[in-house]
Amino acid sequence: MNRRDLLKTALAGTALGAFGPAFRADAATGILWMTWENLAKDDYLAPFIAANDISLTKTFIGTDDEQFAKLRAGGADSVDLITPGLDKVEYYTASDLLQPIDFARVPNAAKLYDTFKQTPLGKVDGQTYGIPFYWGINPIVYRADLMEAEPDWSVFFEGDAYNGKLAMRDYALEGIMIAAMYLGIPESEMFTMDDRQLAEVKKVLKIQKSKLRTYWNSIGDLTNLFATGEVVCAFSWVPPYYELRAKGIDMGMAKPKEGVIGWCDTIAVPKGVEGARLDAAFALVDYLLGPDYGKMLAVGGPYAQSTSAARDLLSDEQQDKIFVKDLSVMDSFVWKQNPPRYGDWVALWNEVKAS
Amino acid sequence: MRPQSAGNWLALPVVAALGALCLAPLAILFAYSFFSVDFVTISHDPSLKNYARILQSETYRGLIARAFGSGLLVAAITAVIGYPVAWFLAKRAGAAKTMLLTLLLVPLYSGDLLRIFAWRVLLGAEGAINRSLIWLGAIDAPLQGLLFSPLATHIALTYNYLPFMVIGLWLAFESLDDAWLEAAADLGAPGRDRFRRVTLPLTAPGLIAGGLMVFVMVVGDYLTPQLLGGASGVTVISAINDLFGTAFDWPLGSAIAWTMLAILMLCFGAGATLIRRSSLVAEGA
Repeated sequence: MNRRDLLKTALAGTALGAFGPAFRADAATGILWMTWENLAKDDYLAPFIAANDISLTKTFIGTDDEQFAKLRAGGADSVDLITPGLDKVEYYTASDLLQPIDFARVPNAAKLYDTFKQTPLGKVDGQTYGIPFYWGINPIVYRADLMEAEPDWSVFFEGDAYNGKLAMRDYALEGIMIAAMYLGIPESEMFTMDDRQLAEVKKVLKIQKSKLRTYWNSIGDLTNLFATGEVVCAFSWVPPYYELRAKGIDMGMAKPKEGVIGWCDTIAVPKGVEGARLDAAFALVDYLLGPDYGKMLAVGGPYAQSTSAARDLLSDEQQDKIFVKDLSVMDSFVWKQNPPRYGDWVALWNEVKAS
Repeated sequence: MRPQSAGNWLALPVVAALGALCLAPLAILFAYSFFSVDFVTISHDPSLKNYARILQSETYRGLIARAFGSGLLVAAITAVIGYPVAWFLAKRAGAAKTMLLTLLLVPLYSGDLLRIFAWRVLLGAEGAINRSLIWLGAIDAPLQGLLFSPLATHIALTYNYLPFMVIGLWLAFESLDDAWLEAAADLGAPGRDRFRRVTLPLTAPGLIAGGLMVFVMVVGDYLTPQLLGGASGVTVISAINDLFGTAFDWPLGSAIAWTMLAILMLCFGAGATLIRRSSLVAEGA
């Protein structure tokens, strides 16, 4: 092959490549889902892909804020489904980025747990814009072999037995919620705290800072800190508990009676999605709330779906692991909300960290 | 078309790309710094409120001062360590020079996170240093302050950015003609005077260039303080990150970023002036 032939071949290949997406579009409706990597594993989605003439592209997010920034910056046109936190849906609706969920096209939504049906979060004027999708708790995780008793929130504010051995997530919303729960501020006032209450919170957060080994930013990093014994107790996510127990470390998980922070992510459809793409997007939403996906998420996550679709398919142990065996546990949850004065919360958090 | 004119036209795409990719985002950031935010709505009425907030906020002023303080400290430490190293590389290493320079740069190939976690292995409560000290009987319990402290942060920052200081100084030493030092010695100048009046002025441009490079990188580094600094590891960069991400206060974040940029530009201006003066001194010599 001479140079001219090589160039011709390369050009032809490039041209065919350019037409490729068009040919694929004829074969299947293509949709793009912006989500967390752990929710979109190929095996979780394989039954849906096999049963539908839909090609699914996934784009992964690192934080909820990053997702919002992408959509605000004009990315909404190319995305068919997003995965905002229940407390963050308000950001998207206030920015007019979402369309309401058409429940007629999501039959599995009828199986939503009552707490998710009734929550005012994710809704505007009675219409749901972010449908609860999966949920969990952020508990205290601790090294049971290195602590004398199960801790509660006071471990971060009182006593000196574990000074320099504690860790807190570097996140203003949850950090301030925990201080408020410790101070006994009820959930009804927590997200609308006045100046006096915020001053109290700041005072105890400064005490907390003096007891911390570090603020953590990545759950993998916190897991390492537990494993090496640098940290014995932290406000955490659930994964280090299971991961380190599997490695033979005696870990404990505490759900303080003052309240446990519950989290929930939703599925939402950007405003511009329509026609066949909208049909495909709702078909995926329905699948994500259904039994096949729910079972795989419970076993592989382990995370709980927001519907009861897969609950009876799970063993008692699996149900217990994702907190759906005894649903009354949800009564002690404090669901994250978006405080109206969140800018002040973030400023307060930075003031504490910089003190 | 004259060759010079053709050159200008050929340079145009590069200049345009630089303008679009580098300066335009900064200009947009600058414009945002005068706006304000109400929940998720950015108001485009310009005001100086964000800059006033920075001036009034002890936290943001403190974080900015801390960032520049760290930059100065690490630049000074790397200068003290790097100066003799660069001298040795340029004047004494001989045939081993290439190998030693490569060794100097090897840590830079490993990535920030890897270097940070390596320091954790060394400095942690169960780390190599604490275990060795306990084994030697020097201490009974691990030194907690070795890791997750400003000390750990500054050790790692010094390690990370030392090569940049050494490279700047090495280039200056390479261009230092030993004849100047021989002439000074012949004229009876003692060693201390030869260093103060010949070596130091002639290597000053390398020292200032290396110092500026280290300074800027330390000021902008938030990963090292965050992962090694413990509860005191907050930086102005992480605060900007919080404002852009969590708080959706892009205007205040932009104003802090531009305040930092303005101070950095002043530092660069001062550095450039010093280098020019040093060069004039060198030419005069």
